[in-house]
Amino acid sequence: MSSSSGTLEPLFSFLAQALATAEATFNKLPGSAVIQRYVRSSHQNDPGRTLLELILVIFAIRTLLQSRTRADRNGTHYIQFEDKEVKELVDEWVPEPLAPPLSATEEADLYAVPVVVGPNSAKPKLLSTGKTALNLASLNFAGLAGNEHIKQRAVETLRKYGLGSCGPPGFYGTLDVHMDLERDIADFLGTEASILYSQGFSTVSSVIPAFCKRGDIIVADRNVNFAIQKGIAISRSTVRYYDHNDLKSLEEVLQAVEKERKKRRGPLTRRFIITEGIFQSDGSMSDLPKLIELKNKHKYRLMLDESYSFGAVGRTGRGLTEIYNVPASKVDMILGSCAIGLCAGGGFCAGSQVVVDHQRINGLSFVFSAAMPGLLAVSGSEGINVFRNTPSIFESLQENVRAARAILDKVDCVTIPSHPASPLIHVNIRGATSAWTHQYPSSPPTSAGLHPHSASLLSPTKHAKDMASRDWDLDLEERLLQEVVEECLSQNVMVTRAKTLKNQELVQARPSLKLAITAGLTKKEIEKAVGVVKASLVKVIGKRR
Amino acid sequence: MALSKPSTPSMFKKKSGTSLSAMASAASYLSALSQADARARGQSNGSPTSTPALSISSSITSSSQDTVLHEEEDYADGLVLPARPPTSEQVFNTVHTEFGHCAQEEYRLTSKHTPGEPVPGHVDADPPYYILFSTYISYLILIVLGHIRDFLGKRFHAASYHHLIPRNGYAPLNSDFDSFYTRRLKTRMDECFSQPVTGVAGRTIVLLDRMSPDYNHTQLFTGTRTRALNISSYNYLGFAQARGGCADAVEDSIKRYGVSTCGSRLEGGASDLHANTEALVAKFVGMEDALICSMGFATNSTYIPALVGKGCLVISDELNHASIRFGVRISGASVRMFKHNDMNSLESLLREVISQGQPKTHRPWKKILLLVEGLYSMEGTLLNLPKIIELKKKYKFYLYVDEAHSIGAMGPHGRGVADYFGINPRHIDILMGTFTKSFGAAGGYIAGDKVIIDHLRVHGHSGPYAEAMTPPVLTQIIASMASIMGVKPPAPAVSSGHSLRLTSPAPSVQEESYVHPGPVPHSALPTWLNLPPELASGEEGATRLRRLAFNSRYLHNGLIKLGFITYGHPASPIVPLLLFNPGKMNMFHRMMKDRQTPIIIVVVAYPATPLITSRVRFCVSAAHTKEDIDTVLRTCDEVGDVLDLKHGLPRSERWPIDEITSKAVELAHMMK
Repeated sequence: MSSSSGTLEPLFSFLAQALATAEATFNKLPGSAVIQRYVRSSHQNDPGRTLLELILVIFAIRTLLQSRTRADRNGTHYIQFEDKEVKELVDEWVPEPLAPPLSATEEADLYAVPVVVGPNSAKPKLLSTGKTALNLASLNFAGLAGNEHIKQRAVETLRKYGLGSCGPPGFYGTLDVHMDLERDIADFLGTEASILYSQGFSTVSSVIPAFCKRGDIIVADRNVNFAIQKGIAISRSTVRYYDHNDLKSLEEVLQAVEKERKKRRGPLTRRFIITEGIFQSDGSMSDLPKLIELKNKHKYRLMLDESYSFGAVGRTGRGLTEIYNVPASKVDMILGSCAIGLCAGGGFCAGSQVVVDHQRINGLSFVFSAAMPGLLAVSGSEGINVFRNTPSIFESLQENVRAARAILDKVDCVTIPSHPASPLIHVNIRGATSAWTHQYPSSPPTSAGLHPHSASLLSPTKHAKDMASRDWDLDLEERLLQEVVEECLSQNVMVTRAKTLKNQELVQARPSLKLAITAGLTKKEIEKAVGVVKASLVKVIGKRR
Repeated sequence: MALSKPSTPSMFKKKSGTSLSAMASAASYLSALSQADARARGQSNGSPTSTPALSISSSITSSSQDTVLHEEEDYADGLVLPARPPTSEQVFNTVHTEFGHCAQEEYRLTSKHTPGEPVPGHVDADPPYYILFSTYISYLILIVLGHIRDFLGKRFHAASYHHLIPRNGYAPLNSDFDSFYTRRLKTRMDECFSQPVTGVAGRTIVLLDRMSPDYNHTQLFTGTRTRALNISSYNYLGFAQARGGCADAVEDSIKRYGVSTCGSRLEGGASDLHANTEALVAKFVGMEDALICSMGFATNSTYIPALVGKGCLVISDELNHASIRFGVRISGASVRMFKHNDMNSLESLLREVISQGQPKTHRPWKKILLLVEGLYSMEGTLLNLPKIIELKKKYKFYLYVDEAHSIGAMGPHGRGVADYFGINPRHIDILMGTFTKSFGAAGGYIAGDKVIIDHLRVHGHSGPYAEAMTPPVLTQIIASMASIMGVKPPAPAVSSGHSLRLTSPAPSVQEESYVHPGPVPHSALPTWLNLPPELASGEEGATRLRRLAFNSRYLHNGLIKLGFITYGHPASPIVPLLLFNPGKMNMFHRMMKDRQTPIIIVVVAYPATPLITSRVRFCVSAAHTKEDIDTVLRTCDEVGDVLDLKHGLPRSERWPIDEITSKAVELAHMMK
């Protein structure tokens, strides 16, 4: 015992000395007396507290020192490798190709896309045939393409502003002509303000995440367009879908959401209904008054994508609000495309001043993208002027639509899901075609239609379920409709299939012909063109049935 | 202004004339300019501030409308008339306010990497402690004051807060917490942002003056305009022009093609111009094929998801642009970040992710895509491409380089980072870039192997759904790109008019170093396109590249020698100057703008940069003359003294401003 204490003697003396030095240094520090007194008194009152505070200090230091990156080197799943092993793993690893080659059908489709030589208009010249065709494919509802006055104004703008804006709107990219177009759109629709984006497609996928955050609730139509789907995906909000264009289903979903919220007693979050005016996927139209009634009743905000209805329907082309005679201020956000509706470029979101100002800082593709060229903005403004001054174009457009529908509705082998007033007309093949495959084994062996790569982007089970539940054969119908398209092209009528991103859409739309009726053609010409479409449909599909 | 009245016939007819008439108008313009300049110099011997309005406009308008000078403008600011009078041999065919006149051959430089020279990484700034301290204190004061104002405002002035408070069953559109930064910090410096402008965003730009009567809640236009030196627009090669060969071509295309192509590329919006442009872009960047998209942001956000998906890994630089992050988030791929431009961090991350595989399952990744930018828009750092290519060979990842800012702006031939480093672009899998910046147009492109590009055409979101690029924009791209490349005069045996694909193959993958693809054959351009000789020969394009390279290095090295803290590669046309204190942003902006020669600048702060490193970002252009850069340096020198910004060099090592301007050439050639 004594021997052991003897050997420990130097250690103790060293410890005592170190302690004394530490105490002396501590006392030299300014304010040390206060801390000392505090620790002493607190220890006296409650010795447990000292321990607790010590643990807290250690925890704080540990948190501060911890790496802030997500690298989970210390995670349970991290495996420690030697350098040599890492080298072996690196050498062994074989990545997949960056992009697989296109399948034969995809490649054929890509090269079959009609290319216009020279100006696009109601009667463009095609590269493949070298002849002038009647155009039922390009989106030129009001017939503004090739308008001489707009061209003249575009040239004048070019000579004053140059072409590119060379900067985002925040940094000297905002031109006076951008502000003019924003005001024109707001005045035209009857909203407080509007904001311009430089691409129509990117507008809605920026507007949604600007308002909808994690925890917010979005109720959307199941068949909304791809841009909305992506906007919803990136917003990370809770999303509920209702059946396509079925407001009963919408009401049920709204009630279910409210019930759920009451049950969970969650906080009040932002809630949005997102839908389209005229649906890109099938041309059907929303019942706006009923939508507004529902959204007011359940205290939702309504985001209405009018890409295909602004500049297309209504007495003067104002879109759904004009058809249903609803003040535009009742819709919280109206989104539209200047590229489609005004034959210029870009898109817009119209709404109250608060809605618009919020996007000027939070709209991703507004803030981080260059402003649109000045001459496109002026072309947009001029387009609106044309709408204001000559509302008769929408009368003739409606007449053309009626003429087209009169012919198409009589065709036996097709169904048309589109609204009778919609200048965007989708034509589906009638009946269950999945049975046809057996009768016509000519369909290519890859009829599963699944590209190995793109299929892997979605969960396979969901896709298989989709496949099983439908009674139509995607590839067969696409092939038939492509035949119709080519038949029409050979007779100098330009039409197109609705092109979709297979296996990336929420719901795979049934293949369809997508006809865009234009006011740029006379009723006679429309009847002639649609007559050709009808004949081709009968010829290609009629004989199969 | 000129827009409101119908234009005179001469304006449109001028371009169809022969070179003789072009010479005549240039010569008359020249004489008018030298007269005007002589007068200006005669008067500046007196007091420069009290220069009476010059009555020269009558002598100039007779030549062409290009050169209309407005009586009300003040010529003492050096913006409208060149500081150096042209000599009789010099012919300038640009408008000085759009593209500055500079004939001095010594103010040219080639943008090229010196082999063996290390590529500078990103160095964090190191200001004195009191600057750091006061910056943090400033933010603290702002935040505390903001919260006090919110607290009191909500109680005593509820009306102006009602959009932040839940009302009759609606949650507020933006919560007061989320919008705190915008309301309480950004509003204070709103005068620096979203300044509306008019006219061409060229060498100078015209501001629509505004003022705020209520502390930036509303901005009112005063109705006056100010012309300012523009060192903010992404106009690297100075192609933002309303006059000149490119604008003439665009005008021609509007008359031929109209304004829109009405539809998406796959659904009736495809035009022969699209095919032309894509082939030209592929040739320009030296890849097999290319596709174009009508918006730069969407090029990243809609095509990245077609490249990677679940089970793939994206390795992304921490300072990548928002569009890349958007695309990656949509794609569903896993993401890992590495420290900005830090190759060691990248390599250790690569070793970790390849050896560990996918989280939890440890399955190997399907593929790894490295997403980097060629030139970073906020820091001016240049990608360390040689090192990345080396790593790519070792670790087999795919490489996607976003050249939004570097295409056209870097490299002896303006072909971006690969050109700058002399590396064969085919070693990079995907080159992405935008036309907004160097080409004065809009939209973006993706170039790569034909297999990949065709895959993207079919599977990218833009193909079927987004509007196709419009004809005027396409023409601007073709014209500006062809004038950088130069056009090979048509061979005697003329090939078919409509050859949409280029015949000469892209450089093969085997080549190690950069092979210049040479001028573009005449047959690859639209048959109607007529570029003036100075553009078609590629001479002007080459001059623009070399002017940009000189201006970039001169400004960067000049700021360093003045003692400022700057970021980025010396060859980069983006030159960030560090301010740190948030209060200095407003002051710097205002002091630059309120000079006799107003200069407009871009200030960026949190959240675009880290909290403390608020900065000014200069974007140099080929349109600037050496005298313009002198002006910027001189102004920065004075403002820097007032705002205490010179912390980069000790006082003894700094150069006085006069030495810098007189030794500009030496300075530009100086390596950092």
